[in-house]
Amino acid sequence: MTNIKKLLTIGVCTASAALASGVGMAQESGWDTAGFVENATFYRDGRGLSKSRNTAQFEFSKDFGKRMGMNNFRLSGTLRATYDAVYDLNEDEFGKKAGGPRSFENFGSTTAQALFGGDGSSPWGFSILGNGGAAAGNPIPPGFLFDVGSNPNDGLAVLGEEFHDPRGGVTIGVPLRPCDTDSRGCGLEDYMDWDLNELRFPDFNDHLDFIRELYIEGSVATGDTSELFLRIGKQQVVWGRTDLFRVLDIINPVDFARHNIYDELEDIRIPQWIASAEFRWGAVGAFDDLNLQFVWNFDEFRPNNLGQGGSPYSILDAGSFFRAMNNCWENGCTVSNFVPAAAIGLDDPGLIAADFAPNVIGIRQVDLPEWKLSNTQGGVKLEGVYKDVGFSLNYYHFFQQLPVLRGDIESVNAFTGEVADWDHLIAFDINFPEVDLLGGSLDLYVDSLKSVVRVEAAYTQGEEFANTLEADLYSDSDVFRWVLGVDRNTFIPFLNKKRAFLISGQIFGEHLLDHELEQAALGPVGIPNWKDNYIATLLIKGWYKSDTISPQVIMAWDYEAGAGTIAPSVDWLINDNWRLIAGFNIKVGDGMGDQEFDDCRACNPFPPFTATPAHADPFQSGSVGLGGIEPLGRFRSGPLGSASEEDEFQVTLRYRF
Amino acid sequence: MLKKTLATAVLLSAASSFIAEAATLEDVEASFYPYKDTVPTFEGLSTGMTINSGNVEQFAEILDPAVYQMLKDGWFEMKVGDTTSFDLHPNYVEATRKGLGQVALGDELGQINGFVAGRPFPEEPDMSDPRAGEKLAWNYKYGYNWGDNAAIYPFYWRYRDMDSGKVERTIKFNFHFLNYMHRVNQEPVPQFADNPSELFRAIYVQVLEPFDVKNTQLLIHRAEDDLKRDNTWLYLGFQRRVRRLSSGQITDSFLGADIMIEDFEGYNGRISDMNWTYKGTKNIMLPFFNHNDMDLATDLVESDGYQFVDFGGKGGCYPNITWQLRKVYVLESDPKDDNHPISKRTHFVDAQTFTLPRTLIYDRKGDLWKSWLIGQAHPDHHLEKNKGTGVAIDDAFSMVDVQAGHCTTGQFKGQVDPELNPVKIFTVQNMRSKGR
Repeated sequence: MTNIKKLLTIGVCTASAALASGVGMAQESGWDTAGFVENATFYRDGRGLSKSRNTAQFEFSKDFGKRMGMNNFRLSGTLRATYDAVYDLNEDEFGKKAGGPRSFENFGSTTAQALFGGDGSSPWGFSILGNGGAAAGNPIPPGFLFDVGSNPNDGLAVLGEEFHDPRGGVTIGVPLRPCDTDSRGCGLEDYMDWDLNELRFPDFNDHLDFIRELYIEGSVATGDTSELFLRIGKQQVVWGRTDLFRVLDIINPVDFARHNIYDELEDIRIPQWIASAEFRWGAVGAFDDLNLQFVWNFDEFRPNNLGQGGSPYSILDAGSFFRAMNNCWENGCTVSNFVPAAAIGLDDPGLIAADFAPNVIGIRQVDLPEWKLSNTQGGVKLEGVYKDVGFSLNYYHFFQQLPVLRGDIESVNAFTGEVADWDHLIAFDINFPEVDLLGGSLDLYVDSLKSVVRVEAAYTQGEEFANTLEADLYSDSDVFRWVLGVDRNTFIPFLNKKRAFLISGQIFGEHLLDHELEQAALGPVGIPNWKDNYIATLLIKGWYKSDTISPQVIMAWDYEAGAGTIAPSVDWLINDNWRLIAGFNIKVGDGMGDQEFDDCRACNPFPPFTATPAHADPFQSGSVGLGGIEPLGRFRSGPLGSASEEDEFQVTLRYRF
Repeated sequence: MLKKTLATAVLLSAASSFIAEAATLEDVEASFYPYKDTVPTFEGLSTGMTINSGNVEQFAEILDPAVYQMLKDGWFEMKVGDTTSFDLHPNYVEATRKGLGQVALGDELGQINGFVAGRPFPEEPDMSDPRAGEKLAWNYKYGYNWGDNAAIYPFYWRYRDMDSGKVERTIKFNFHFLNYMHRVNQEPVPQFADNPSELFRAIYVQVLEPFDVKNTQLLIHRAEDDLKRDNTWLYLGFQRRVRRLSSGQITDSFLGADIMIEDFEGYNGRISDMNWTYKGTKNIMLPFFNHNDMDLATDLVESDGYQFVDFGGKGGCYPNITWQLRKVYVLESDPKDDNHPISKRTHFVDAQTFTLPRTLIYDRKGDLWKSWLIGQAHPDHHLEKNKGTGVAIDDAFSMVDVQAGHCTTGQFKGQVDPELNPVKIFTVQNMRSKGR
């Protein structure tokens, strides 16, 4: 926790204490409090318990009336404590005993078959190009040896093993256990480095996330119907009009580790210390309502929480990939199918695994923007209602909340030991580039359709993406995103004659304006993300028994990934206090295993040693497009396809008070 | 649909040949002070008596069909009170006088010309006037109702099972009402200057309890042009987002209650959404009473000592109030939209106040579906701040779903207080800031 946040926390608390002391009170209300305790238990097919999350949340607010020259001066806060028992109850999958020894594919290798038997897979740290070869007395370059004593074959999974077989592609060993049990791959400071207690109690961390919100607000009248509204503190600022996927709602980062994309954004936005000022003119000129909001996120930058290798929810399985790669950098690692056996002089048509030494490939560090004034984020929104159409125009300057891997770091040449910034080498730092977003939204009611239409669009500059065409393996691209939503209440008489169903459909579009993709000798090369992609969502929700029983189904379909989700559930409001939700989350369509992309095995980063016959100039680095599922197939699978093996039955019981 | 359109066209055509006699000052007096010289009576009916299953047949003539049946079935008993005058605010009456002879229906259903303020059509409805029903509807729409503004602050709704009497849900609201135009009492009169969309009225609703719907907010903007659709927004606390509502949600259960948004205040929609038919004038028993004289509830006492109307009868679905014999206009409205979930409403319009204390709602098959009661309290026997406001205070409601054996009851703390209803709370942006 930074000093400024400590000061702010103390400041807001002190302000509230001073206000509560009752000096100069006017129209003061009592404390408004509410809260709940909840258990969410999810069972995942093939893995067993995937969540046993116990949450207690307490909300409070108090209107102090007129204070400090402001009307309706209010203090509000939300405290949350979460204990996810899955790390204790299913520790074989997600806790201290997760993972185990793993072997890595040597696809089609007759040598490996002879050496290792079975399917020819070689144990972690015992590859033919590596420790295994050295043990057999073969000369092995120094960049292909690592210490198995400190980086043992235990507590591991093979990257993507839940989703697909290696199929001749690269895979890496992923340490799964919490970082206090197994520190491998936990070397990214303040990023995906949680110990067991941080996983169990995710709200209790250095950022004081148990304080979900704590802010003060008030308004200053600027006219009969206009006012200046001010709010400062830890809070969520919500822009946009869409559900599930975000286009304009980007001010607060999101905690996908809580339950991927499926929890309400209210519960997974990561609150930030933000000051906002809003001029509310009300009805003015031709506008029924007009407001101008300035937002200044002066908090330390925090990226989206993507989960951690070994945790049950890791969107795009990115946490596993990052942890595996950080381990590669720090301790070395085995990578399956990395090298043609013939490349090391074997009379063998297959591919063999390689044991990389530390500091050759992997992820070296994360460059989280440090707190300084110039690193704060902010924007402006003009919002109003004009001729029955609600609209907003938005601008926001921020740091990309999803990480990008920049391959412009110095590393060790596996063959020569030389340290340099090698082009096309899969050795990275994680970065979060600055992004400018310009967008807008509108909603209107279309009487002929009896429907509400919602539109959002955003154009960003500065986002960065993986790009195997580039020497540093990334490039930036302007991006245009949009969403069209239609909400309609419709009677479905055979299901309910007295109550209409809500049918809400959305289509999200994403277009990368600077997308690059070329066909190389062995396959496509460039940006793995789709140039154009569309995700459709559909919600059908009904109500029975005075809305105490509400069945619904949420469906989502990623067009290019060919992957989708069907999530039927029933929400039973037992009484004003108790609520039970039971449902399934079933993935359909293609999984991660159905998407392949250039994996940079054939990038020739250490020319001429790593050149392939497809390289016209063996002294020139660059990819010739040999691909596999890992690691970039995840970008083509998207959040739906990359969770293809996460079918779950979910029960949530909540008691409100 | 075509049949309904044709019927409307025929009706309007016929109306054009009807020459209404201009309303007079005497009409105004008769309209606002029907009990000045005499009150209606009925043989055997006396103040203090109780009508119940034992004597209901005797009073069938002065009971609406649903109340008659429910009394007959012993679902509740009706205590009889004096018929009292609910004088509306003198400014509203004066505005009516000023508008005499200047107001006329337009060519289309939903059009009115020359209206400034007050009661648009104070004359007695005429059965031979094919647009008499429409005129009554306008009188309701521009009725003094809550005055220029008011708040129900707070407002408790209870969802009840009629058979078991179990209270399934209790929802606590604040309701706020504001007239942008046709104001007669509070500045600015007669309208707000900054009103670019020419709004007639706005309703803002905030849910305070329970937790699952807390911070849910509803905002309705009704345009002065009746042919324009309402703009309605809903803020869902758990989404922190304002969503515009489709018309389907206006005619659907609101938060699981037996009430749809269109039912608010008796009828909360456009004139032009319905065909209106005047069915006659009669005297019937209506729930008009003096709040402070009732045996009030003791379970929801406010910090200022205010007590809400209590409920009893079958399932606790009936307010423990007195009823009085009053003059009503029977008005039928049937939706122009064939997909509307109801086939018609029968409103029993209180002739003096033009409130809708009784409405019967029929399903698409034409069977009685719901019985809608909105009890009216005299402002001079209510909160101190309401005295002299000339507003018939909505004070208790009961919506009984006679088919499902279910009801929703409402307990009001109506406050005619402009401080509670500043214009700035009737904005979309206010919903966002109120909603955390």
